[in-house]
Amino acid sequence: SPAPLVQAFPLPSLPRKQPTVLVVCGPAQNGAIGLVCARHLRIFVGIFLPSSSSSSLSSHGPQRCLSATQDYEPTIFYPKRSPDPLYRDFTTQCEKMDIPFLSYLPTEVQLINDAYNAVVDAVLGAEAELGEGRGPCAGILATLKHVRIPIVSLDVPSGWDVEAGSSSGISPDVLVSLMAPKQCARRFLGRQHFVAGRFVPYDVQKKFELNPPKYPGTECVVAL
Amino acid sequence: GPTGTHSVPRQEEAQAIDQELFTEYRFSVDQLMELAGLSCATAIAKAYPPSSFTKSQPAVLVVCGPGNNGGDGLVCARHLKMFGYEPTVYYPKRPNKPLFEGLTTQCQKMDIPFLAEFPAEAALIDELYGLVVDAIFGFSFKGAVREPFSSILSTLEHITVPIASIDIPSGWDVEKGKADGLQPDMLISLTAPKKAAMHFAGRYHFLGGRFVPAALQEKYALNLPSYPGTDCVLQLT
Repeated sequence: SPAPLVQAFPLPSLPRKQPTVLVVCGPAQNGAIGLVCARHLRIFVGIFLPSSSSSSLSSHGPQRCLSATQDYEPTIFYPKRSPDPLYRDFTTQCEKMDIPFLSYLPTEVQLINDAYNAVVDAVLGAEAELGEGRGPCAGILATLKHVRIPIVSLDVPSGWDVEAGSSSGISPDVLVSLMAPKQCARRFLGRQHFVAGRFVPYDVQKKFELNPPKYPGTECVVAL
Repeated sequence: GPTGTHSVPRQEEAQAIDQELFTEYRFSVDQLMELAGLSCATAIAKAYPPSSFTKSQPAVLVVCGPGNNGGDGLVCARHLKMFGYEPTVYYPKRPNKPLFEGLTTQCQKMDIPFLAEFPAEAALIDELYGLVVDAIFGFSFKGAVREPFSSILSTLEHITVPIASIDIPSGWDVEKGKADGLQPDMLISLTAPKKAAMHFAGRYHFLGGRFVPAALQEKYALNLPSYPGTDCVLQLT
């Protein structure tokens, strides 16, 4: 899941000085995927240049520019932690890797816009039953609806109906469909749509008529 | 290639790093084995793409030992299948644990054949397969090689198709190597190259297992070179 973030937002393109990313994790599986994503973001290193140097990137190779290797700097907001032992271990892994966990999400969206380059929406997945306006995630989603920085949604834009989508919900810039696009992906209007989760055996693909696109080479994501 | 020296972990240190990942960081064996096996398949696909096989199909024999190295091999076989190869597994000694039973089932359900017998002669392996993955023994290996692996290694020492070894060429002393032992064409070092890697003389040396947190790398002075972008492998030679 972090690979699409890196493909859609390579480090040199990020506008802020530090490559900060806010990962918002819900209480169930979608949130757990967000935790794993955050951990891998912490390990992904790229050549990071402050944005004013971007013009020199085209005329010289990265080695000849003043640059630093830098990982993405994820921060996690995970208000309702799952009791599942596997997910608790994912949390420990993130904590031990010095990924900060916010104690609250600012309702003042400008604070989020200023502090982060992008938001990973790992709040609700296809299993969520309650729509955006109800349930414990309603407040979070109300805030995310108003951020001006790009949102990357994991599997389903949180709060959307998995089939019908949503006319007034959050509007992600990037959607990462897991295994195969869900019906609501037809309503996705953002910039980039990826499929990830290259592990579905062929017989399962056929049985459920998933028809995933062909992954290039050894890539674990494919852009649609 | 990478410049500068890095600390090459000894067997005890490599085991200590693993222990810390499990006890302090709470990684599960499943998690790390999946990432390790995926690294192996990815490295193999980079060095020996399916189009490079001279046989009609990109057939690969994956020989799995009785421990975690064998588990890495099972994960590798499954990802090789997803990458378009035709892997076959030989797995004579299977631990009675859910992890390995699950990995075996995943391979079987993906129509990866499991041989009942090891090919009797090196020439037969050369005929049937374009590559052999050595997933027999890893960095925890100590002591004498027991059957059936002793005979298997003898046969593998006479094949002409390339061998890709996972972490340590099987049968080698994990620090000193084995001059008259297996001579793999590829080595995929997991987490960090071990001392034995200094004796590796094959064409391709890859680093895999991209999961060691920065703090652990510093603690053990691993000084690993940077992986490119989001790649899960790094070609060292």
